[in-house]
Amino acid sequence: MHARLPLRAILATASMLVAVSGARADFWADAGAPYKGVTIHGVSESTPPSNYVKDVLAPAFTKATGINVEFEATSWDQMYDKAIKDMEAKTGIYDFVYIEQDIIYSYLSRDFLVDLTKELKADPKLASPDFKVDNFTTFINYFKDSSGDVYGVPMEAFLKVYLYRKDLFDDAKNKEAFKAKYGYDLAPATTHAQYRDIAEFFAQVGKDTDQELWGTTVQAHTGHPSSWYEFFESVAPTFGVYNWGINQDGWSASVDHGGTMNSPKAKAALEYWLGLLKFAPPESTTSTWDEVAATFAAGRAAQGLVYGENAAWIATNADKSNVVGKVGVALPPLEDGVLADAEAGKGYIGYYDGGAFGIPYSSKNQKAALLFLEYIGQASVQADWAVAGSRITHTATYDDPKVQEMDAKVDHYYTLMKDQGKLFAGAPPYPFHAQVREATAPFFYQAITGELTASDALDKMAAAAEAELTKLGYRK
Amino acid sequence: MRSQSIGWLLLAPTLIILVIFGLVPFFYVLVVGFTEWNAFAANPGAHFYGVENYRHLVFDEQLLYSLWITLRFAFFAVLSEIILGYFLAQLMMKDFPLKGFFRTIHTLPLMVAPIAVGATWRLLTVPGLGPVPYYLDRWFGIDYRLGSFADQAFWTTVLMDVWHWTPLVTLTLLAALSSLPKEPFEQAQIDGANRFQIFRHVTLPMLKPAILATVFIRMMDALRTVDEVWMLTGGGPAAATRYIGLYIWRVVFPKTDYGYGSAMSLLALYLTIVMCWLLYVALVARRDLPKGD
Repeated sequence: MHARLPLRAILATASMLVAVSGARADFWADAGAPYKGVTIHGVSESTPPSNYVKDVLAPAFTKATGINVEFEATSWDQMYDKAIKDMEAKTGIYDFVYIEQDIIYSYLSRDFLVDLTKELKADPKLASPDFKVDNFTTFINYFKDSSGDVYGVPMEAFLKVYLYRKDLFDDAKNKEAFKAKYGYDLAPATTHAQYRDIAEFFAQVGKDTDQELWGTTVQAHTGHPSSWYEFFESVAPTFGVYNWGINQDGWSASVDHGGTMNSPKAKAALEYWLGLLKFAPPESTTSTWDEVAATFAAGRAAQGLVYGENAAWIATNADKSNVVGKVGVALPPLEDGVLADAEAGKGYIGYYDGGAFGIPYSSKNQKAALLFLEYIGQASVQADWAVAGSRITHTATYDDPKVQEMDAKVDHYYTLMKDQGKLFAGAPPYPFHAQVREATAPFFYQAITGELTASDALDKMAAAAEAELTKLGYRK
Repeated sequence: MRSQSIGWLLLAPTLIILVIFGLVPFFYVLVVGFTEWNAFAANPGAHFYGVENYRHLVFDEQLLYSLWITLRFAFFAVLSEIILGYFLAQLMMKDFPLKGFFRTIHTLPLMVAPIAVGATWRLLTVPGLGPVPYYLDRWFGIDYRLGSFADQAFWTTVLMDVWHWTPLVTLTLLAALSSLPKEPFEQAQIDGANRFQIFRHVTLPMLKPAILATVFIRMMDALRTVDEVWMLTGGGPAAATRYIGLYIWRVVFPKTDYGYGSAMSLLALYLTIVMCWLLYVALVARRDLPKGD
């Protein structure tokens, strides 16, 4: 008798699960029925998480609802070009667009996006029982307006972390040689001085052993904004320069007017970062975020700041990576006081990147697109997606066995994201994001090529930022 | 009267297309050029701005630099293409083994989209990974780094343009050479002219219309080059290859400064017309002017 109880419990649970999953399957079929045969068009940056949507989630959604998804995964520049042009001209080509965390403020300022909260309230038939805003990590807050309404469903969220080669760091010969030269133990850097020493050491190891090995990656493309981003989002904060050095009270950038873009800390940060170039592989000045990941995966650098969306494939995919099983993950190196700032909520230690899918007002298939956004926001699809793209947007995903298994292979990157993610931050809430970047980037590129010193470049950038903010009407 | 109406009727489709795709955008850009219009400004609509955009053009050092390097790029690229294209056309006038195969191979770059040309050259030249830097270093000890050295980036873009467009020049000049009458050449040989004199006084004058047409077409293309260079260098290192088209693209799209971008576009159009007119006057019209007493 007693022995039959567990069996009954198992059967009851199983039948409930079947019923629930049946009901949920019915939801997608029922909700999708009015839009069966409709094709929704979306555009996103070609990244591991986006490609998972294109290859796995979009076909699964079509199967469940009968709604076709045409998903364009393109370059970062083209993605913005296409999405902004479409929304600005109200052509209605796209039914959902990728909203990177740093552009949401620009889109909201122009009322480009549909209020998803309102839409779901207005048409409860479209509200999936599996889609719950409360399931998401706090990253979803970046996609809310001041009243708490959601404008984008997060599809990726990750940290820009410090990756290092565990095999090289653990090598006894390297350890001994490093200690002999620098007087302290070889270990992942916690300060900029250590990071520089390690970069110098491994660049020399590469030379001495005639290997294609350098000391660090540097995302220093001299004609692409990715270099500008590496500095302002990942390096300057580690020196205590936050929000691109722009003071939001009065929108000033220069020290003279209350900003910090050309402050001594910012200048020290840029000098440090430029100084790493001599220890970096020759492709560094043509490297964007993609090439930096590729360089690290090819085993050409001993350490580097790499976008976390690449961590899983670099650490585990032997078809693409030469450093499988050799990847260590750590927090970025910091100046004194920066960690305390971050813990006190006064600053941050690096970039919490990610994005969401939103629906443009100009979309002609808003309801079908809304269903798609709910579909990718379900809890049931999150774990596999997290494993494929090193991204996590639901709190519960961290505890999924598949994610925990992958976590062990990626030196606990996911755990680091869960525990230390609060120390990182997304881009500041500026609606003039691309405008200030484009106004200042030419001087930044000149600093990389050596045409300007770090100090002169930042002085010119601060002046250019203020001129642009004045022209745009923000700065009086 | 009836035949005139039929003539206009037959011309109508062309005129309508010309108006819709030529004149309407032109006047639109003209109007936008007099506005201050940035999609992400505090006040994002288009506002009348008078001639401020045009005044700003004159003092925009980055624009002036872009103009200067664009002219340099166009000069070296077009000149190289004309010279190389002429010799290749002359070569193809002769018979040699595998001529058909060579002609096909030589024409292939023309069929490749500019963006794909840029991507291909990027793969060839990316430092540390591409074969070009590898062999330049190994064979000649040259440190070739496209993202670091301005001169290397500039000449690589010129070389890429020459690789892409010389076949067009070759085909144009080949067609022109094939259509030249034989008599003047025979006459010149009988008169004892050497090869250079025949080229200077017979071939060149007769080829001039074809060469001029080709120069105009190629120069207009070179002055507005964007996609190949964007793919290869992104305009870098720093501003070394940020040609005018690329600069306009950056201002209009990432920066969404539609008013200033329109003014820059009109300036670029005006300069292209002026350049072509100057070239025409220098090479053709000057000789046709009535001589003084």
